[in-house]
Amino acid sequence: MSRHHAPARYILAVGLLAVAGGLGALWPLVVSDYWIGIGIELLKWIALTQSWVLISGLTGYISLGHVAFYGLGGYVTVLLWPILGVWGALPVAALAAAAAALPIGWQCLRVKGPYFVILTFGVAEFLKFAVIAIEDAIGSFGRLLMGGPSLAHLFHILLGLALVSCALTWLIGRSRFGAGLVAVREDETAAETIGVPTSRLKLIAYVLSALIPAMVGGVMALRTPFFDVSQAFNPVVSFTIVTIAIIGGAGGVWGPILGSLFLVTLHTALWSTLEQLYMMILGALLIGFVMFLPGGLTGIPLRAPRRTASTTAAEAP
Amino acid sequence: MSETLDTLLSGQLLVSMLVLGSVYGLVALGLNLIYGSMRLLNIAHGEIMMLGAYVGFWAFTLAAIPPYLAMVVSMVLAAGLGALLYVSMLGRVISRTTSLARLEANSLLIFFGLSVILQNLASLAFTSDDRSYPWFDQILQLGPVSISADRLMVMGVALGATLAVIAFFRFTLAGLAIRALIQQRDAAQLVGINVRRLNMMVTALGFALAALAGTLIGMVEQVSPFSGFPYTIAAFVVIILGGLGHLYGGLIGALALAAIETYGVAFTSASLRSLLVYGVFIAILLIRPQGLFGARRVA
Repeated sequence: MSRHHAPARYILAVGLLAVAGGLGALWPLVVSDYWIGIGIELLKWIALTQSWVLISGLTGYISLGHVAFYGLGGYVTVLLWPILGVWGALPVAALAAAAAALPIGWQCLRVKGPYFVILTFGVAEFLKFAVIAIEDAIGSFGRLLMGGPSLAHLFHILLGLALVSCALTWLIGRSRFGAGLVAVREDETAAETIGVPTSRLKLIAYVLSALIPAMVGGVMALRTPFFDVSQAFNPVVSFTIVTIAIIGGAGGVWGPILGSLFLVTLHTALWSTLEQLYMMILGALLIGFVMFLPGGLTGIPLRAPRRTASTTAAEAP
Repeated sequence: MSETLDTLLSGQLLVSMLVLGSVYGLVALGLNLIYGSMRLLNIAHGEIMMLGAYVGFWAFTLAAIPPYLAMVVSMVLAAGLGALLYVSMLGRVISRTTSLARLEANSLLIFFGLSVILQNLASLAFTSDDRSYPWFDQILQLGPVSISADRLMVMGVALGATLAVIAFFRFTLAGLAIRALIQQRDAAQLVGINVRRLNMMVTALGFALAALAGTLIGMVEQVSPFSGFPYTIAAFVVIILGGLGHLYGGLIGALALAAIETYGVAFTSASLRSLLVYGVFIAILLIRPQGLFGARRVA
């Protein structure tokens, strides 16, 4: 079974993206605002988790602070949207997040294991309090946004971002670059010894993983008429991303999609009535998956047969 | 200039620094014990404190039980919770995970899940209102310094508990065995130390110390389901400052963070407190990344 450089796989992937894009684009035209809102949630989590997989899934450097880029993107968008409009503000938000990710990643990626995890969390919280302090200093207490884009419009932008994030993870996952990132995860010292430029690869992946969350943050900031800094930088977002990735599996492109579907279903069923119960179930799922199913949902059915296939092939005379 | 000097020399600030430092020391001691002997990063430590604070609040509000008795109750409850967690989950995780880095990362995620569960459980059970209760809060005048009696008691109990734990580690067999475990885990096992039983004991003790610190904090600060988390962060700063797994280093770290926080806020403004704590947190992790502990760590 040749899994690499098979043009058929690329055609299939492009076809899947086109179908998902086409069907998705029709969604807001046929359903009520309530269901558009649920669609927005789903696309948001897919885009965020897919971007997170680029750094944390592939390299094993678990970021518990991706809300930093989401919040930063939201903040930049809110500041620039009145001047530049949606299509001007979102790219600038992405660039701003990348500009922040570069020094943050450069410093933080030197730190390994659990220290990296708590460090990313600390950096995100630090940024939150820094933005709050800035807003305080200039005498701003929350920002009102009047006349933002329509719900359907925001849905379409998020659909685009989610599809791009899926394509990006898929492409990088099977590229030489992706192989280098996986080498970092498996054994960083060994990878470095055989000449993989681990520091550079990690940094590039980290900066790439900041772009889409920033734009998603921008879109979500435009969705509500009031921008609240602590809400935009809410650590629950980072926590949810990690939980989705662990539930779905962080090894490939399907994990985040499956995890997001699962989470949004749970969220839709419970959030409005039993917010606390929803969060408790999320916490329990995180514990359960870490303990019993570390590969996530996609870790069960897909990996087992592949492994058997390759071992039988290897054992055959 | 003289204003700066006045602030620096103010007895009032010195006392609030000591109160804060003694509580941080106690919190960090519990966290350090659990990390040192099992390599588990208990990010739910602050939530155990929060529960301890609620025990104090409800005991006083519903049954007029004074905090010095409620402390004992919350310590016993927390120790039970810790032992239960160890038997049901942690022991399994420890015995199944082979690499230390993996164990640390997994424990972080497991305790993060636990902290989310406890926060929301508390919020479901007690609502998210801030709660506090007045007890023993008359102001005492000690020379130039005025301090409320409950704060003085917080400091006294925290220092007493810390000293008791230190004595336990110096003079009892179990305490010495735990220190052996922290220093040389495999060797400790070889000389016949029952690692599993000690691990459970350490978890229970760590949780009990967190709950005690929580009940103490609940005497002088407001408690809400989310009030524990900042203490987790502070405790991490403290034990990283003092060296992860280094019990006495943590006490120096506690004083250092309390000093930075108290004087930093005095010179700037209270709204910058979180920024300051997280700034120190990031700076320590970056300036002294894992390599620092690598030399001391005997895996």
